[in-house]
Amino acid sequence: MAEWSNWSGSLTFEPSSLLHPKSEDDIVDIVNKCRDENKTIRVAGSGHSSSALVQTKDVLISLKHFKGIKSIDKEAMTATLMAGMTVEESNAALEKMGYALFNTGDVDVQYLAGAISTGTHGSGRKLQNLSSMLMRVRVVNSQGDIVEYDHKEHPEEIKAFRVSLGSLGVITELTVKILPLFSLQRMDVFANIEDCFQYFDELADRYRNVDFYWYPRRDEVKIRILNDLETGISKLPFRHVVQSREEDVVGKVLPRTRELRFDETEFAFDAEVAWECFREVRKRVKEKHRRTVAWRTLFRTIAKDDSFLSPHYGRESVTISLHHNAGLPYREYFEDIEPIFNAYGGRPHWGKKHNLKRDMLKDLFPEWNVFHQMRKQVDPDEIFLNEYLRKLFNENKD
Amino acid sequence: MGAGRKLWAISGGFIPFHSNGNEPAFTSRDWISVLNTTSEEATLTLTIFYDDGDPIGDFEYKVSPRRVKKIRFNDLINPLPVPLEKAFGCIITSSCNVVVQFSRMDTGARANTIMGTIAYCE
Repeated sequence: MAEWSNWSGSLTFEPSSLLHPKSEDDIVDIVNKCRDENKTIRVAGSGHSSSALVQTKDVLISLKHFKGIKSIDKEAMTATLMAGMTVEESNAALEKMGYALFNTGDVDVQYLAGAISTGTHGSGRKLQNLSSMLMRVRVVNSQGDIVEYDHKEHPEEIKAFRVSLGSLGVITELTVKILPLFSLQRMDVFANIEDCFQYFDELADRYRNVDFYWYPRRDEVKIRILNDLETGISKLPFRHVVQSREEDVVGKVLPRTRELRFDETEFAFDAEVAWECFREVRKRVKEKHRRTVAWRTLFRTIAKDDSFLSPHYGRESVTISLHHNAGLPYREYFEDIEPIFNAYGGRPHWGKKHNLKRDMLKDLFPEWNVFHQMRKQVDPDEIFLNEYLRKLFNENKD
Repeated sequence: MGAGRKLWAISGGFIPFHSNGNEPAFTSRDWISVLNTTSEEATLTLTIFYDDGDPIGDFEYKVSPRRVKKIRFNDLINPLPVPLEKAFGCIITSSCNVVVQFSRMDTGARANTIMGTIAYCE
């Protein structure tokens, strides 16, 4: 069996089987067989996550054959996409039909189903995470049945599916909100950290997508600003150096290709405490870590939502992400900063590295119990959990 | 032809850890200034050497015709960063003749210090 590796290379394992079903019937057969044989199933995406969400000694499924747009509902402004589409492929296919997703993350190589299921997000004070666009889901459940949940008929189930970490079944189709194809103007500028402290909130209120990278070896920032073409981006009220300025459709102007591989940890905070947390992180990195840490820290804003396991549940959020070159020891760095994140009530990004256990998680996520009651109903034998998720989810497995 | 050479070497690299003052202007650092007097774009390849491990690189940079470029060793990132407070050397190869000056600024003490020297060339 071939070894499976994630994007950064920090997670490698050998599943007993790596399967590439070509139809829902194939998936039904796999689920039934695994249930009968007491095996578990995880679904791999593009491998961009750096937590152990898909690590398994049992069956790993790739949905790489599930491609394409199944249908567009022009009235409801939704598109039904096959679950093997990446975010990039989704936007490219939608663009040809005159539509677009409302946002993407910093990269768009993830499977859309994986990005949605982990609460992945972009930037934008008024924009929710990518999970929020899920309106309907088609899934092969633990009994081998094909079922559909719609946000109108099954609002609670959709709140669970939106951030479900692959624990509720094998998603085969996603129906997501779409927008008429739109373009954005983008400007990336380098600026002084003190000017960023003073003006960032003003920029984030004014423009559609605003975030910044902090460079620990220079103690300066790169601010990324995107806005609609009609309003554009006005002259900035502080000293800065423009690195780039461009315009294009959202799926091309927003995400970037990353040649440098890195490991990542990210926590989401109530926006009210995020600056204080960031200042503490910056101080700690400068004092202790920049001898070896050179890659950047990312600060993003996200609107609150109501998905049960969303890191942005119920609070206007800011995320702070630490990046460290792949191949360098990341644990000492991430584990030294994590107590600062914990002290500010940070909720981990499910697809990135963290060390939180169930006892902390259940207090951080107000709907923790609601989600798990639902999960236990739809997957009583836990065939969609791996060892990593069992430890996170189950009371007696800590 | 242009001034300089195509192969340069630095043996005394050591980026200070501590800094004082506003950054990045006063970040303690090692850097090179590259002068390209030719009419062609220079492609530079930097390789970093240590006293206790394999070399890292290649770091690639472009210097436009008839221009100078400053490269901070602190900022090298892909494939790996150069650790601070660690001795290193550097080989710089260029696709055309260039002049390379090596400099260090240390703002960690009360009095800032700065030094510069022409790198070794062949």
